[in-house]
Amino acid sequence: MAVVTLDRLTKIYDRAHAPAAEDVTLEVRDGEFMVLLGPSGCGKTTTLRMIAGLESITSGTLSIDGRVVNGVPAKDRDIAMVFQSYALYPHMTVRENLGFGLRRRAVERAEIDRRVAAVAGVLGLAGLLDRKPHALSGGQRQRVALGRAIVRDPKVFLFDEPLSNLDAALRVSTRGEIAALHRRLQATMIYVTHDQVEAMTMGTRICIMNGGRVVQVGAPIDVYRRPANTFVAGFLGNPPMNLMPAVVTDGPGGRRLRVGAADLDLPAGAAPSLAPGTAVTFGIRPEDVGDPATTGAHRAGVAVEIVQVERLGAETMAIARMPGLERTLVARIAGDAPFTIGERRTLSLDLTAAHLFDASGVALRPEG
Amino acid sequence: MTASVLKRTLLLLGLSLYTAFASGPFVWAAMMSLRTTTEIHRSHFALPFPAHWHKFPEAWFNSNYATYFGNSVQVVVTAVVILTVVGAMAAHCLARYRFRLNRVIYFVLFSTIIFPPQITIISLFQILVQYGLYNSKVGLTLVYVAIQLPLTIYILESFFARIPSDLFDAARMDGYSDWEIFWRVALPIALPAVATTIILNFILLWNEFLYAVVLITDEDNRTLPLGIQRFIGDTQEDVGMIATGLMIAIIPVVVVYAFFSEKLIQGMTAGAVK
Ligand SMILES: Nc1ncnc2c1ncn2[C@@H]1O[C@H](COP(=O)(O)OP(=O)(O)OP(=O)(O)O)[C@@H](O)[C@H]1O
Ligand SMILES: [Mg+2]
Repeated sequence: MAVVTLDRLTKIYDRAHAPAAEDVTLEVRDGEFMVLLGPSGCGKTTTLRMIAGLESITSGTLSIDGRVVNGVPAKDRDIAMVFQSYALYPHMTVRENLGFGLRRRAVERAEIDRRVAAVAGVLGLAGLLDRKPHALSGGQRQRVALGRAIVRDPKVFLFDEPLSNLDAALRVSTRGEIAALHRRLQATMIYVTHDQVEAMTMGTRICIMNGGRVVQVGAPIDVYRRPANTFVAGFLGNPPMNLMPAVVTDGPGGRRLRVGAADLDLPAGAAPSLAPGTAVTFGIRPEDVGDPATTGAHRAGVAVEIVQVERLGAETMAIARMPGLERTLVARIAGDAPFTIGERRTLSLDLTAAHLFDASGVALRPEG
Repeated sequence: MTASVLKRTLLLLGLSLYTAFASGPFVWAAMMSLRTTTEIHRSHFALPFPAHWHKFPEAWFNSNYATYFGNSVQVVVTAVVILTVVGAMAAHCLARYRFRLNRVIYFVLFSTIIFPPQITIISLFQILVQYGLYNSKVGLTLVYVAIQLPLTIYILESFFARIPSDLFDAARMDGYSDWEIFWRVALPIALPAVATTIILNFILLWNEFLYAVVLITDEDNRTLPLGIQRFIGDTQEDVGMIATGLMIAIIPVVVVYAFFSEKLIQGMTAGAVK
């Protein structure tokens, strides 16, 4: 049980390059499952390794339960880490791998055996205890790596993309197991991934990083619904949010936008009032673009040309071009929509779900 | 099917021929070790009937062989132990830690390999005389360590560098210090490579002649290769006795090889590092 506080943590590997992590400020609450999510190279692993004590901290403070641990070596932080490569000791059996950390901590032999057996039972490794890692499947190795962390009963668990080496089916089931493990242990866990499905389904909160900095922290669904800027909007969601350049024009309430050749009147709940001429970015998620058949109060029809159709069975992705716009618009329509390529038709946008971002990409929220 | 059988047959034939070719001199020496010099002069390749087993105790007791053998064991085993421990530590350090001049040190160490011993041996002789290490087993041991260390580090460094660094990080998270990580994680994983260097160094140093002949003159400090040389007189050679001496000298090499090569083969096939 622990609170992990990162205060302006910065890591500079090399003066010639930009910091790998810069001013990372984040509080991971007791028992929380915090997911660090971001594109490759954004500093997730670096941040995690600083928390683990495997990497020195260039500046900023890291505290666990209020105690600053910048100078505390990894072995004294009482943190366990699951590595992407699993990092099982190849010359030791599964039993020895699981017990290695306990042996160092002068736990009694009988107690080690008891804890190893208990963890092996939970993870279904009981029959494999005398095997060496090279005689295990990928999924089994992954479990041993998990077990090695659990058996130590640490204050904080760190995971660095633990599922990325598993095949798709195994990834889904292991995801569920880790989530169940978190519920059972109620321990503080910090989980690095660049897989948004993992982030959305597992995280109590997620922390989106980009270019070494924290961009947004919040519950997954809040971050999804209210992205702080165009980066988050374009990163989260699959396919991501449609983002189009737009200009505010004269209209009621200062919420009339010109997007390409179309004029859209945003409802008061979707955007603040803006001065005419302001350049903004208009964003709308693919699921909020639909068939005109479902016209509602705040849906606006736009004329488009369908350029591509992807039928996934349960839903259809239609990629459309709006007149006067470079960018294509992606629509996600439930069921099998009868669209054809080259067809000119109208799509309707649910403007209550529209997002606006200013010229620097920061979200503009409606007043009040 | 037939093609693969043919391929196998050819391969076996080739291997058998090569084995016969490679082991021929060894078998010949082994046969001569059981025959007297007179017999050998009469017929070079005859089989050892009757077998003169008494030549072995004779070579051992009458020619100061026990001393040579003991000296060799002492010098070579000490040198190999130091080489293995120091070499592995240096290799681990050069492969694992980032510090300034890491590559420079590595290069300087390794570049000494290019000098043939003839270039350095005279100055080495001078240095040993100055430090009072000339004609001593300690001096020879130190020289052996010095000449074999670069190659040992070179072989081990490339192996240690292939051990994923995550393993060391995992051990740090498990609470181990750098010193313990070396002994309990790095060294056991690198065992196949370490076994290779043990065999290599042992065989090379066991047979080493040039440094020994220059740096040791004292009868009591001679190593085996020098001892065998003593059978070669100025005017006549006791060929039979030389062969017997050689056979005794070979035994430890075979033992070391048999003991460590199981590890060697294991390491080559099992893939200890994933
Ligand atoms: N040991 C190192 N020395 C120098 N630069 C490094 C080192 N480790 C990472 N970096 C750099 O720091 C930046 C962040 O790397 P990091 O590994 O934290 O990214 P990441 O978010 O984990 O990416 P990924 O999703 O690909 O694992 C990258 O630009 C990387 O090149
Ligand atoms: Mg990473």
